[in-house]
Amino acid sequence: MGPHFILLISALIFSIGALGFVIRRNPLIMFMSVELMLNSVNFLLIGYSNELRSIDGQIFALVIMTVAAAEVVVGLAIILTIFRTRHDLDVDHLDVLKG
Amino acid sequence: MFGYAWLILLAPLAGFIFLSWFGERIPRDRVGWIACGTVGAAFLATLTLLLEMSVLEPDQRLNHVITLYTWITSGKFTLNLALLVDPLSVFMFLVVTGVGFVIHVYSIGYMSHDPEYSRFFAYMNLFIFSMCTLVGAADFFFLIVGWALVGLASYLLIGFWRDRTSAVLAARKAFVMNVIGDVGMVIAAFVIFEHFGSLNYVDVFQAAPKLFMANDDVILLITLFLLVGAVAKSAQIPLHTWLPDAMEGPTPVSALIHAATMVTAGVYLVARCHVLYALAPFSMYLIATIGAVTAVFAGSMAMVQYDIKRIIAYSTMSQLGYMFLAVGIGMFSLGMFHLMTHAFFKALLFLGAGSVIHGLNDEQDIRKMGGLGRIMPITHATFLIGALALAGFPLTSGYYSKEAIIMSSWHAEMGNFVFWGIAVFTAGMTAFYIFRLFFYTFMGKSRNAEAHPHESPIVMTGPLMVLALLSLCGGVLGPWVSRFLAPVFGFEIPHFEDGLLETIALLAGIGGIVTAILLYFTGQDRLEFAKQALAPIYDILFHKYYVDELYDFFIVQPVKGIGAFLEERVEKFGIDFAVDQVGVQLREVSFYISLWQSGKVRIYATNMVAGMVVILLFVVFL
Repeated sequence: MGPHFILLISALIFSIGALGFVIRRNPLIMFMSVELMLNSVNFLLIGYSNELRSIDGQIFALVIMTVAAAEVVVGLAIILTIFRTRHDLDVDHLDVLKG
Repeated sequence: MFGYAWLILLAPLAGFIFLSWFGERIPRDRVGWIACGTVGAAFLATLTLLLEMSVLEPDQRLNHVITLYTWITSGKFTLNLALLVDPLSVFMFLVVTGVGFVIHVYSIGYMSHDPEYSRFFAYMNLFIFSMCTLVGAADFFFLIVGWALVGLASYLLIGFWRDRTSAVLAARKAFVMNVIGDVGMVIAAFVIFEHFGSLNYVDVFQAAPKLFMANDDVILLITLFLLVGAVAKSAQIPLHTWLPDAMEGPTPVSALIHAATMVTAGVYLVARCHVLYALAPFSMYLIATIGAVTAVFAGSMAMVQYDIKRIIAYSTMSQLGYMFLAVGIGMFSLGMFHLMTHAFFKALLFLGAGSVIHGLNDEQDIRKMGGLGRIMPITHATFLIGALALAGFPLTSGYYSKEAIIMSSWHAEMGNFVFWGIAVFTAGMTAFYIFRLFFYTFMGKSRNAEAHPHESPIVMTGPLMVLALLSLCGGVLGPWVSRFLAPVFGFEIPHFEDGLLETIALLAGIGGIVTAILLYFTGQDRLEFAKQALAPIYDILFHKYYVDELYDFFIVQPVKGIGAFLEERVEKFGIDFAVDQVGVQLREVSFYISLWQSGKVRIYATNMVAGMVVILLFVVFL
């Protein structure tokens, strides 16, 4: 469990999240991908907190989790509303703001 | 100690603000009395000021600067909101608020049928406020503020009947001509500040004799630029053409602004800056020359006009020429004295003319009048008094002031026989044209069968009688004016005794009257004969020396030509094309940029990730 391993895992999880966000069309899955990216960062912070014997990273992780929770609430509410009005959850069809 | 002097400014200002906001909503009859009340209050405050000043020793009457507060402080420049109370400003306050009050009362009757009654009185109060600012200012800054504000009030009132094209054009002409003068004033103020470091009268006038020798270039520059303002405001040659056209305004406006008060601002300015002018004999000589030339030019034009108000307007120019002549030869308080008597009798003549116009349902052509003497007895009698005073008939007020000016134009240090000759000749013409007007209007038979003239109500004839009394007896104030203003100018006017000159001047006036009687009262044949004999001169006079045409040819048309060229070429193919192209090209470019904004979340996300990767690569490998 050296620092390289932590970095590698974190980068891997982040890349999976980013890839998932880009290629999936279902907003719920995209959301999960976002959570994945956030958690990869959390993983990194906690890992290094342990490595460097400092509590700061863990506090940061807690803050990120709180923000993520709040963000999920808002995001799910938006997705719900979109579904109610359009009966369609394909993000590729949600392009009314195009220039 | 003269703190309440602010009331003179604030009362009319309050009247203006109140009438502008609520004038439409309160009963008509109250509008007029509110307007009169504010001016009356200002007049009472002036009287108190006068009384309080009279008990002071003469040398303590000067330089009372009443500061309300400091408005601007910037480096060494300080600008106070301040009034200067000294005999000169008190004298001017008296004329402005006194004659102003009488004319306000008259306006209640004259404007009674006008639908925009309250707007008229609001403007009139604005004018009184502006004029008092001009007169009471303690520095050149507020002098210019007042100077511009009276120009504004004049513009608004000339164009009061805004649905008449001629009135709107006349208002514009007056404004443009006055702005030429304003520019001169502003430049003069710049030069003064550059060399004195202050704009306060007290500072400037005390420093001027110490800093500069007589005939210094700086003083010459200042006085000449101030003179541009004075000439424009007082309708002297060559900036005189606006005044006759200004008669498009209601008659009380002509009486108040374009005869009694505003147009005398130029004379006041020269008198106020007499310290500077004393150092610039050339400017003084120029003022006297302009005055004399204007007097004779305007007087001759007045002899052949047919519009009752225009005749009196030319007469005003001519009399202002006398005042310029008086201050130009250094007889400042004589100029102020004539300013006062002129305010009385010229306001009287204008208001009398207004009464006639009112009685004849807005007829202004004297050829369509006649025989009004019996129908309008009060107007007739008061107008006769005004005419006699204007003609300088012995014992009327005009006699004392004009006679003194004519005498001084020979005997004063700076006078000479040319000025005297012009002054006497003009006196003869003055008597002639005013009695020509008088005979046309009041004597003979009516030349207008349709009109049903009637005497005006008491609210109009009352002011006429007050002014007639002042025109008749105002002359006795002469010595008092000279003594009262002596502390300001530093000397009393010497009284010149010369029986021969006096007789000649008197004969010129009487001769004018007799000529008018011979031509217009007793003999129609003689008139026709004279007209034919003098046809070329008559033609030039009738067309006002073609000055308007000259200005049109040399200034207005070239400017219009340049304007047309700029509009057709520069505007359309230069400015418009450039502006249009900026718009067209921007739209073109933004069309391509907007393609980036696809609206697809996944493309945005891809771009973000790609950008992130690029930045990462950049950071890691470079």
